[in-house]
Amino acid sequence: MNTLVLGVVFSPLIAAAFGLLLARNRTLQHGIGLIGAVAAWLCSIGVLLANLESGPQLYRLGGWPTPFGIVLVADMLSSLFAVMSATVVAAGVLYALGCKDKVVTYPAFMPLFLCMGAGLFGALFTGDIFTMFVFIELMVIASVTLVAISDNRLGLEAAIKYLLISSLGTLFLLIGIAALYATFGTLTMADIARLLASGERPLLAQAAAVMLMCAFLLKSAVFPFHFWQPDFHTTAPTPVHSVLSSVVVKVGIYGLIRMITLMFTAEADLIQDLLVILGVIGIFFGSLGALGTYDAKRLLAYSTFGQIGFILVAIGWGTPLALAAALVYAVNHSFIKSSLLMITGGISSRSIGKTARLTEIAGLGKKLPYISVLYFLGGMALAGIPPLNGFISKVTLVQGGIGAESWLVLGLAVGAGMITLLYMMRTWQHIFQKVPDEFTKTKPTGDNLLAPSLLIALCIVLGIYAAPLIDLATQTAAQIGDPQIYIRAVLGG
Amino acid sequence: MSVIFAIATGIMFAFGVFLLLRRDLIKSAMGFYVLFTAINFLLLAVGAFNGTVAPYVNEQNQIVGQPSDPLVQALILTAIVISFGSYALLTSFIAVASRRFRSINTDDINKLQG
Repeated sequence: MNTLVLGVVFSPLIAAAFGLLLARNRTLQHGIGLIGAVAAWLCSIGVLLANLESGPQLYRLGGWPTPFGIVLVADMLSSLFAVMSATVVAAGVLYALGCKDKVVTYPAFMPLFLCMGAGLFGALFTGDIFTMFVFIELMVIASVTLVAISDNRLGLEAAIKYLLISSLGTLFLLIGIAALYATFGTLTMADIARLLASGERPLLAQAAAVMLMCAFLLKSAVFPFHFWQPDFHTTAPTPVHSVLSSVVVKVGIYGLIRMITLMFTAEADLIQDLLVILGVIGIFFGSLGALGTYDAKRLLAYSTFGQIGFILVAIGWGTPLALAAALVYAVNHSFIKSSLLMITGGISSRSIGKTARLTEIAGLGKKLPYISVLYFLGGMALAGIPPLNGFISKVTLVQGGIGAESWLVLGLAVGAGMITLLYMMRTWQHIFQKVPDEFTKTKPTGDNLLAPSLLIALCIVLGIYAAPLIDLATQTAAQIGDPQIYIRAVLGG
Repeated sequence: MSVIFAIATGIMFAFGVFLLLRRDLIKSAMGFYVLFTAINFLLLAVGAFNGTVAPYVNEQNQIVGQPSDPLVQALILTAIVISFGSYALLTSFIAVASRRFRSINTDDINKLQG
């Protein structure tokens, strides 16, 4: 029993509840929100350290023994993803404090934002597949509401679209859960994994694998289920966008890794072959989509497709090295993408129409050297130029590909990686190098850029001093390579 | 009983998908709810018919007969709460959208392109 695991999930929820009570005093509410997010971040780091010391950490809710009660499990995979998510969520709250958007002043903004974070952490930590559904729904409902009340009036339309599409994903998830429960009579993932490993494999369990995979692919906007993502992410308020496009899409990735390495290990080969194909399609679709888009925020939403594609390809290769590469890539991409989104939001908050369309913000950053440097560093990190952390993730990815001897896919992935450089350079030149025409009016101040500065600093640190992250990812890949560790930790004995 | 539930679930799924694909947003929202009800039927059918009596103990702390699975009912309760929340949110969005766009046809609420 480790109470820190509970702390990660419940400190944002408690802060959200107090935030609702203190809705009249906006400063106090935002302060409590920041405390809740930072507390979750500290707890997640504590959980990761405890994991390194003594293996998977558990918290049994209500003290019930495992197959009967709900258990929160923090193994290396969950803890690593939780540290990543908690960092981005805390940075998002920090950005929201200095954000000039009207949506931030609404009394419901901070509680909803924290509920989104709590749903995210809960989905990562729960060891019970139905509770995962509940937490994912908490996250979806909170994020949909945040997008619907966005300053961008088209947010409402995107919210309706996403709520309908995401409900179909939820439907798949519930059918999968029902099929698993009908087959095995249990909902604890470790128990399901134990029963699946014992060789019992009815047709219904394989149907459940397909259903769960559809649900997770939809949550992370992978190729056949991707169409909602650019609309939904672009119209979101900047702090929300930075969380949605970097860590919320990783919940699907987490679910896929959990499925392949823990539950459906026998079907893993088939699933992984599919993931490589979907990943390559995603890389090309996302990169070319970003190249053809003339809106700085929408471009980054498209770029997320491509980056998720790289992670899927690495998961698809499936060797421990490639899995470690996928984890390094996921963590680095979260920091880079959220910081870039915050910087883009900061620029568009300085334009009159609060837009990110390149034609209207061209030359806006000519007199803002600090933001220009930040954006340049972020763009280069996304493209994978040394000494930034994007380079480290590309190198580990290439190592994984060489280890898996999948030359065609590796060539396609690295080639498409060059497109990233193309569109990031083009956008940077448009915003920061062009001479603004005399009609372009700018506001003197915009959003506070403390949060993206910290994230970019983190990117540089992770680029120069990358050994700890790679060690962590390697240990994680080794741990999830043996599902018995997870099963023994949860079920005991 | 299982056969009746299978047929009912199938019909409701078909009806729900049909409604969800309509161009009218209110009908889509109805389809959304019908689909979730179909899922609740499915969850009920998964475990409720294994037993014949309610899972209560008598004074001697024994259960007489084969008890029905109580967990599926807890699952359905949770699923109902969540789907109802989503449905309320969706209909409120549609209410705002109908005022803002003066239409509830998906062809008209289509400003987000490119």
